[in-house]
Amino acid sequence: MGAYLLLSTLLLGSIVFAVTIGPANISAAEVWTSILHHLGIGESSLSVLRDGIVWQLRLPRVLTAAAVGAGLALAGVVMQAVTRNPLADPYLLGLSSGASLGAVAVLLIGVSLLLPVAAFIGAMIALALTLLLAGAFGRITPGRTVLAGIAVSALAGAVTSLVIFWTVTGDSYREILGWLLGSLASARWSSVWIGLAAIAVAGIPVMLTGRLLDSFAFGDTSAATLGVNVQAARWSLLTASAVLTAAMVSVSGSIGFVGLILPHAVRLLTGPRHRLLLPLSALLGASFLIWADTAARSMFDPRELPVGIVTAIFGAPVFALLLAARRTET
Amino acid sequence: MLRFLGTVSIAALVAGSLAACATSTPAASPSNADSKSTIENCGFEVPMSPPPQRVVTIKSTSTEMLLALGLSDRIVGTAFQDGPLPENLETPTPLPVLADKVPSEEVVLEANPDLVYAGWESNFSVDGAGTREDLASLGVRTYVSPAACKEPQFQPKKLTFDDIEQEISQIADLFDVSADELIAKQRATLKGIAKDTRGLTALWFSSGSDIPYVGAGIGAPELIMQTIGLKNIAASIDDTWASYSWESVIAADPDVIVLVDSSWNSKDKKISILESNPATANLTAVKEHRYLIVPFAASEAGVRTADAAADLARQLAAIP
Repeated sequence: MGAYLLLSTLLLGSIVFAVTIGPANISAAEVWTSILHHLGIGESSLSVLRDGIVWQLRLPRVLTAAAVGAGLALAGVVMQAVTRNPLADPYLLGLSSGASLGAVAVLLIGVSLLLPVAAFIGAMIALALTLLLAGAFGRITPGRTVLAGIAVSALAGAVTSLVIFWTVTGDSYREILGWLLGSLASARWSSVWIGLAAIAVAGIPVMLTGRLLDSFAFGDTSAATLGVNVQAARWSLLTASAVLTAAMVSVSGSIGFVGLILPHAVRLLTGPRHRLLLPLSALLGASFLIWADTAARSMFDPRELPVGIVTAIFGAPVFALLLAARRTET
Repeated sequence: MLRFLGTVSIAALVAGSLAACATSTPAASPSNADSKSTIENCGFEVPMSPPPQRVVTIKSTSTEMLLALGLSDRIVGTAFQDGPLPENLETPTPLPVLADKVPSEEVVLEANPDLVYAGWESNFSVDGAGTREDLASLGVRTYVSPAACKEPQFQPKKLTFDDIEQEISQIADLFDVSADELIAKQRATLKGIAKDTRGLTALWFSSGSDIPYVGAGIGAPELIMQTIGLKNIAASIDDTWASYSWESVIAADPDVIVLVDSSWNSKDKKISILESNPATANLTAVKEHRYLIVPFAASEAGVRTADAAADLARQLAAIP
């Protein structure tokens, strides 16, 4: 229970503090009177433009980061448990490559769809292809699914590269590069709603499946003897995490590291029990991505970095420290 | 062979004496009059003689430089053009096009050039037109617009019109033609610019939508803005162009926005990006449509920089 309290406080504190940081020089008090004003409490003294910085840029961006971080961490936990593969990540089933292809189609070929919609459609097509391929020539097993995902990823990645190679003119590659590396720069209120909706529809149900995921750890046969309908459970879990991932990719591109490493980091702290692992990964993932993005948008002020670079640069050493600490304990 | 050598040495003598004449009269241009046998270009030694006869140009700046010097007959191929030629440089027959993008080394070599003149250093790469070393080993000279040198020791610390004039005279020397007329014309254009004195601030919006890519503190955008009396809000970034953030743009609330117009990211697209984002829609320049337009091909350092400055100055004067 202590861990819940600690990580929830960390998340809340991260949101409150991160919105006050940015290239524009606006005091913390001004930021919060502006936000409270929009929530119907009190009056704000900020000009329209500075108020826009807080309410249209910073707050939606911080909240999107929280939703994406939580969603990716959750999807990572599920993928790792269901495929019994510690190297599994949310993008395993071709999701990010499919989403990238959808985004590239909008940005470069000019398909007239909203970018998040196109990315979502791309991700779902890739997932469907993966599952079709995995089931095409026999029984679907975790191993076959992962292999099918790799094949679909490779195909979608190649088509994406082909499109970029043929259509990029002048310096338009810069925009697509930012998206491929993962970036929260496009976060607006619409992104917040997409992120929160995915958490509500897929994230929260997944968080309640701790016992089920524990049973997967012992293998399909043991899970079956525990009274689990293995196939049905596996597909609902995979679909839930695919929806989660596709939604997150659609608002932020493919941000690496969070979904792969964060579940392991939390596991090092709490042990392998999923009832704890799921919600704690979500909470820590949310805080982690808020801070990574805050660094991305303010460290090199007034320049911005794609957040995917920051998650790996900071995440990898932190994870190494965790590993080292764990080794000395045992 | 002997006769050939003879002609070359006579030509060299004539060129040398002409150069001597040029230095003895008051110099109208910073022309590179000493008879150096090589020029240093982004840290790469390029042999000066003989004057190139078959040139492949990559990007608009290099093509337009040769056209402005009246060297259109030397161009055997163009590639990666950023946009249409300006009216005053149009050729009676279209120039041969090797590729819409960066050409591959084989395509370049097929045109049998004795010089490849590129607007960006990165055009010379293994997956592009070939590395400069490779091309040199095949006897093909290479030249990069010096304003585009990327290594810190060769990049202009802060681009000036002198740097552009130097490129003009260097190219003129290489081709053994006179740069005087072109340089005089450039100077006259610059002289004719009425600098705005209102102390207006500006954003140079080059590309990007989520993360704007803007003209920063040391390149052609900064040079043009300074020339016409605009204060660049991104001037503190020590780079030619750089990624910026909307938050910084909004915090600075620039008086005018320079929109770079290109086929892949048009001025209209930029205006709709600015207007559709609720945070930038309230910028003064966006609400009052205080936009200046510059074609992409004129926004990189070259013979069009002075004209671009003059054109933008006229647009700026029309803004109340």
